[in-house]
Amino acid sequence: MNDLWTNRLSEYLDGELDSTERAALEAHLATCGACYATLSELRGVVAYAKTLVDSEPATDLWPDIRARLVQSSEPRRHASGVRSRRFTFTVPQLLAASIALVLLSSGGAYMALRPGTSKVTPQPAAVRQQGIMTVANVDRGTTDAAIADLQATLTQNESRLDTTTVRIVRQNLAIIDRAIVEARIALQKDPGNAYLNLHLADTMRRKVELLRRVNDIAAQS
Amino acid sequence: MVATLAAAMLVAVASQRQTDTTFAVPAGASLSVNNFGGGIAVHAWNENRVKVHGDVGRRGRVEVSLVGNTVVVKTGSREGAPSVIDLDITVPRSMGLTLGGTYADVTVEGVQGPISAETVNGEINVRGGKGIITLHSIQGSVTLADASGRIEVNSVNEAIELSNVTGEIKVETTNGEVTLTGIQSSSVDAGTINGDVVYEGTVTDGGSYSFGSHNGDITVSIPERANVTVTVATANGDIDASFPLPMTSTAGRHRKTFKIGTGSARMELESFQGDIELRRPQEIRERIDEHKRDHHNDNDNDHDSDRDTSFSSHVDAGTWDYAARYAKAYAPKYAKAYAPLYARTYARTYARTYKRAYRDTDTTSH
Repeated sequence: MNDLWTNRLSEYLDGELDSTERAALEAHLATCGACYATLSELRGVVAYAKTLVDSEPATDLWPDIRARLVQSSEPRRHASGVRSRRFTFTVPQLLAASIALVLLSSGGAYMALRPGTSKVTPQPAAVRQQGIMTVANVDRGTTDAAIADLQATLTQNESRLDTTTVRIVRQNLAIIDRAIVEARIALQKDPGNAYLNLHLADTMRRKVELLRRVNDIAAQS
Repeated sequence: MVATLAAAMLVAVASQRQTDTTFAVPAGASLSVNNFGGGIAVHAWNENRVKVHGDVGRRGRVEVSLVGNTVVVKTGSREGAPSVIDLDITVPRSMGLTLGGTYADVTVEGVQGPISAETVNGEINVRGGKGIITLHSIQGSVTLADASGRIEVNSVNEAIELSNVTGEIKVETTNGEVTLTGIQSSSVDAGTINGDVVYEGTVTDGGSYSFGSHNGDITVSIPERANVTVTVATANGDIDASFPLPMTSTAGRHRKTFKIGTGSARMELESFQGDIELRRPQEIRERIDEHKRDHHNDNDNDHDSDRDTSFSSHVDAGTWDYAARYAKAYAPKYAKAYAPLYARTYARTYARTYKRAYRDTDTTSH
């Protein structure tokens, strides 16, 4: 994979490349499946983000955000020639972001079903900040943790589902787990393989989505 | 409008075992149905009326109301556990549908509006639909035919089949095959973990196509004059095409890119364990027809064996003799017929299975 181009895919998607760079990248995309796949993933993330329904936060976050913006804007005023901030993703960040979006979109049902939590409650600012940062910083390890959390929630709420559904879901989670294990073993042997990286991330995304969906069904039962 | 409002107040509580209600609906009205268990069958007609027929049994009840511009049909039980109720609903052809259930099979026929159907344990079979179409089941196959629009179809433990569908398509299951035939689309995304993926449809200039599986084969049709850049990736499978593939790049031994024509469209084909095949549309159509014939024959054979099994509780020596003669007479015939069909699949499976075993043996012996 060409890191030079991969790291500029988000700029390409945002229309921030000049015509020369754009033409060069498109020429590269025509021959590099890995970069094209990554671009597709990024497009998926953007498209998925657009489908998310805006919801009111539990408490008004704006005062905190505004305060931090004011603080952080001071040094910027003195920096000359600094371009407006852009978010450029690496491949792992892209994949993590797509999974994080799935996780965040399922947050309502997840919080509603979480053991000992009957409703979404206001959180302290520090916790909220962690939640916001999750989008950018989540990696495979945190995805594993999130999956474990969703799985624990499901275990707690299995009694809301009938035994057939539970059995089917467990069978299918086992199928996905086997696929994840196989992908991980293959990746250990060939860590730089873009296809295997994407495949593992996509398989983990499927697990998250299945858990989210079943938790949603349990919430409605 | 008066008739509509009167109908809106309708509450069909069945003292009898069936309920049958027909009422006028305003233009642009939609239908929302929630049926815990049983069936939801929706048909279309060319009238601005909705007809709700329910087989409610002794304890069940069906409530029909108009909320805003939506006809709401709910089922329930007058006492005890939820009832199993079969609903048969006829609606104006362009009516939008939202259908939900837990143990419900959903069937829609001839509707030309948006359709959303979700069930947990049940099949979804839809013919028709226009606009946004979302079909979700956990334990049940999903089929969609003769539809157009923005399509999203999901199952978990069963197969998905789309035929003669036009529009943007996203299909995903975990443990089942995905079969897409007669597709006209510039955007298709289809995947499964455990199952084959088959695509027979258009490859439009500038389009985007993605097909993936973990354990299954992927077979796609590439029309003769298609302009597409195909990226193929497999960890343990083979790549095969029934026409020359001009390779433009390769990234390791697992990923290859081919440019066909101008390469305008993009196609991603990825299978971890399975093979990837690129075929001409006619080849795929013939293969699907063959598969359907085999399936039909298998079912026939199943029925035969079902009948035989039914005798097993009082099987006598004569029956066994007959079974033995039958098997002897037909075994060579079936072996001959099935060997060419399954040899390739089994050869691949066994080759993969034993390759590892022999490799391990080889390693330990040195």
